[in-house]
Amino acid sequence: MSDIRVTLREPVAGGHGPEIARRLFFVMPGLVDFKLVERDGAIHEIVFTADRPLDAGGLAERVTYLIDNEIRSLSLMPRKVVWESPEHRPAVDVFGQLVTEGIAFETGEGQVGFGEPLIGLMDYLDSEIRQMVVDSFGAQEFRYPTLIPTRTLERCAYFSSFPQYLMFVTRLHSDTNVYRNFLQRYGQGEQLDISVLHDCANVDYCLPPTMCFHTFAQFAGRALADGGKVVTAKGKSFRFESRYATTLQRLWDFTIREIVFMGTREKILESRRHFMQMMFDFVADLGLTGFCEVANDPFFVNTDTTSKILSQRLLELKYELRLDIGAGQTVAVGSFNFHDTFFSQSFDIRRPDGTEEGTVAHSACAGFGLERFVYAFVCQYGLDRRQWPARVTSAIKQHKEIS
Amino acid sequence: MSVEDISQRVRDFLAPHFHGHQLGDGDDIFALGFVNSLFAMQLVMFVEKEFGLKLEPDDLEIDNFRSISAVVGLVDARADKVVP
Repeated sequence: MSDIRVTLREPVAGGHGPEIARRLFFVMPGLVDFKLVERDGAIHEIVFTADRPLDAGGLAERVTYLIDNEIRSLSLMPRKVVWESPEHRPAVDVFGQLVTEGIAFETGEGQVGFGEPLIGLMDYLDSEIRQMVVDSFGAQEFRYPTLIPTRTLERCAYFSSFPQYLMFVTRLHSDTNVYRNFLQRYGQGEQLDISVLHDCANVDYCLPPTMCFHTFAQFAGRALADGGKVVTAKGKSFRFESRYATTLQRLWDFTIREIVFMGTREKILESRRHFMQMMFDFVADLGLTGFCEVANDPFFVNTDTTSKILSQRLLELKYELRLDIGAGQTVAVGSFNFHDTFFSQSFDIRRPDGTEEGTVAHSACAGFGLERFVYAFVCQYGLDRRQWPARVTSAIKQHKEIS
Repeated sequence: MSVEDISQRVRDFLAPHFHGHQLGDGDDIFALGFVNSLFAMQLVMFVEKEFGLKLEPDDLEIDNFRSISAVVGLVDARADKVVP
């Protein structure tokens, strides 16, 4: 391990610390830790710890680019909390206990397997949200394949917003010579290395970072029926989170319950507001502690990052529902996002038929990270089911009896 | 600067983006489909540059940028913070 000190060309306001911190592990491979050195309310230096010898000049150049292009001109905006739970339940990080008791186990970076009582709890939370949107918004449920065409991500402008999260899927060329060479090299137990990629030129599929992209592709080129459309789906989602992966709160491989609203602007915004209130009531009924605030996505390495972040926060395009997980930490268990016409334009999704036929639709989505939701719940209620709210345990028991 | 002058300058800035549509003082700039959300940045930068203002974090509220009258109200209220 070695430390590398990067002195900023010009100090940057300390208020930018959180936005800087959520990007630094993507700056260069080999970084295992970092510390922002702050004096008089400004960040002057960043001290990195690396697990291998790194080019200090190259690191400084990358950090300078990041801060000058994506951070320095960012407007500091005050926190805006739109809801707070009435309950204030103390939370304790229980990941160590989950591992000790054999309930959770790490299978790789950002990948955690788990058993009961978390499975029943996850199914319960998911089924409550699903039922809510089916009953209140007439949501139609779909199950999507795990793979998503790369072209769909391109149409979502994912490459220009979040290149750091991309996870490609590839395969060996269909060529007997390729298979024979592969067998010769690796069939005898040699460890697979990066050179295998020379025989895998395909990048036509990726792992999906979220479910709503599947929905936009599904409705591409269509006019919506009267009243618009509400779709819900649950599925595995994947984001390369580098060293930000932590316990069950930030995974490379996780499960999302997503709801997509498509229709007129007024209806979409009203649906988002209504659904947010329903989720606040649900969280309050569960006795969980948390809040909802205006948020922004971690846009990365593009010249319009500051513009995107300011727009998201100023126009309140994104709200995050955050729950306490102990030690003053919270985790975003869900978000409520208004897309304007961004996805509908890209996928040619038009408004309900009628006088405004042919006009591009508006859309919004809400997504819930189910592992995070479960984790926050057990950080607040513990692992002993007898301490959980009766409505939760009786619903889980009922579900098990039925199945 | 009078409120009328501020209003006219805001209108002149917005006009090319609204392709002849007559924008009412209270119309939601972002709801009519002429500009997308990234226009928010342009609007904030216009206000700072055109009126020589240094906006504070608390000024960056949608209620200050939603309509012509909201922007005029913001500029008028912050006229004492003109950057020389």
